[in-house]
Amino acid sequence: MTLVRGGISGNETGLSDMLALINSSDDSQGIPVAFNFLRNFTTEGIEPYLHYHCLLSALKPKITFGNYDMVHQEVLDRSSHLYSSSPDIIVAALYLDTYLPDGWRASWSADDVMNSLAGLFADIAGNTDAIIVVNTFVPPFYADFGISSVKDFSSHHNEVLRLNQLIRAYVFSTPARFVLADWERFVRLLGENESMDYRFWYMSRSPFKKAFLELYALELVKVARALKGKSKKCLILDCDNTLWGGVIGEDGLNGIKLDPHSYPGNVFYEFQKSIIRLHERGVLITICSKNNEQDVWDVLDGHQSCILKREHLSAWRVNWSDKVSNIRDLATELNLGIDSFVFVDDNPVECGLIRDMLPEVTVLQVPEKLYTYPPLLNRDGLFDTLTFSSEDRQRSQLYRDEAHRKHEQAKYETMDQYLASLALRVTVHPATDNEISRVAQLTQKTNQFNLTTRRYTEAKISSFCNDPDWAVISLSVQDKFGDSGLTGVMIAHKEGDTGVIDSLLLSCRILGRSIEKVFVLEALSIMSRLWPVKTWQAEFAATPKNQQVAEFWPSIGFRQSSLLDGHTFYTLPFAVPELEPISYIAIEEQQ
Amino acid sequence: MMQHQEQKLKEVLARIFNVQPEMITDDASPDTIENWDSLRHMNLVLALEEEFGVEFTDDQVVEILSYKLIKIVFKEHGVEFVQ
Repeated sequence: MTLVRGGISGNETGLSDMLALINSSDDSQGIPVAFNFLRNFTTEGIEPYLHYHCLLSALKPKITFGNYDMVHQEVLDRSSHLYSSSPDIIVAALYLDTYLPDGWRASWSADDVMNSLAGLFADIAGNTDAIIVVNTFVPPFYADFGISSVKDFSSHHNEVLRLNQLIRAYVFSTPARFVLADWERFVRLLGENESMDYRFWYMSRSPFKKAFLELYALELVKVARALKGKSKKCLILDCDNTLWGGVIGEDGLNGIKLDPHSYPGNVFYEFQKSIIRLHERGVLITICSKNNEQDVWDVLDGHQSCILKREHLSAWRVNWSDKVSNIRDLATELNLGIDSFVFVDDNPVECGLIRDMLPEVTVLQVPEKLYTYPPLLNRDGLFDTLTFSSEDRQRSQLYRDEAHRKHEQAKYETMDQYLASLALRVTVHPATDNEISRVAQLTQKTNQFNLTTRRYTEAKISSFCNDPDWAVISLSVQDKFGDSGLTGVMIAHKEGDTGVIDSLLLSCRILGRSIEKVFVLEALSIMSRLWPVKTWQAEFAATPKNQQVAEFWPSIGFRQSSLLDGHTFYTLPFAVPELEPISYIAIEEQQ
Repeated sequence: MMQHQEQKLKEVLARIFNVQPEMITDDASPDTIENWDSLRHMNLVLALEEEFGVEFTDDQVVEILSYKLIKIVFKEHGVEFVQ
């Protein structure tokens, strides 16, 4: 199945070719699905796109349109198309300019319009048993009062945005009957130029271009698929170059690419997140890989960045047999139809084999442009179910998180109380082999909290790690909202009984919580155990970007010793600085 | 090449109106093809623009109401056909 790439471009198949497929389609094939549009604008333009994408999903559509701008009448008239077409899916397609013809002139309130919409929606729901798809409205692209519009909170623009939120809330509160086609999101994805057909709007009241209509059609097809039980239920994943970069059997646990912070490991990490989300939605996750089974478990059980774990899997086939037999086996074991599987593999030969031998399986190949990989499982709505579409689910999660944070912040009277509530946990230890590339990257990218701004390659960091007179200490930070990962580095070496701090840098996103002080304290005590040093020497090298740390060394008890060519040198006459411990940060030294 | 363009044009019309390509004669118009209504005319405009890489003016959108007229307007856009 080839579907539009998440609305990034709807231009893959021409209208003419779509119609060729539609005209030649076999009427006896496909699951019937009936759509009826209740609309107040020329909606017929969507027909070929909706028909075409239904056919690609093995659905046989019947598409009817109610009379132009007769939405209420159609609902009230028991002999209208709405009832005679026995629709499975009613699409209430409402365009704001027609729904609210005086909206541009008189001020109106989103609440009033929502009340009237809710009355209409309830009428449709009360008179039919179809799924009802409603839309948000396209917000104006230009400000009513130009640059001063931002001050005018009652403007048309803001009211449309508010109305859209009310519509979303309405749909969200009635999940069994209503589904949202979020036009506002469509125009955000596509932009005005790809969405709006002003020519046919003014000539024929048909306001949308192909890309918009195709995106709209795809949302409707997702609803039809879910309604007709064609939602995919199970994911079959290859391992090497699908769950991680590289080949575990050759590259080993530390050689494969999989981590949250550096390319391309971060792409695979992100892809794994989408697997976990599907798991949370109830999709079964399985593995089908040509590998030694133990190698695969080594990664799932033991790789620190492999968030896909053995307990997420419902079944697996890790062996050297052909994947067709393995997939048939999995279907039997899980008691699922072959057509409920989605298969993901990087190997074009395997993908082609499954397409040929098991055409009911949806085959997704890891894209060559690896950075386009993470949304692969999400963009086509293959696993969508009606009671909780992927979008609604994500939205509700975001709402929950945001509400949670706000709630947390409001709960505490002082900043210290809030910080204490974050359950901050820092991990400080000599950099491990699989941290080297991230450490090098941080030295190359960090500008603001960077005391000396020395840039190092991976090879150089590696040589420091292997030199007994040098030490590279890494900092990782977690709080209860999530893992910030490796976000701080100190590099030092010893000269006799003096420890010389060569570099100290922290990523901006963890600042403001006194983590830097805890890190220095902890790093110096670790190194004092490695080397019996009596004093420390530190340095600040000013750059245009690091002024915020000009006073850092004095702030933790170092004394200025000399000044040379923009470099300020400091000394600390003890092995470990005397600092008040910070009670709200927990420290771990484990490797 | 020009032969090919003519063939392609007939094919697009045949697909839009869901008729056999033989139905697309020089005289083909809403009078001879039942499916050539205002809604399908919109699809015709979009498909022609897509397939031939042209953009019709608002006047041309209304003008191209026969196979012959489409070819004349195409000529104005530099799309050539066999006479």
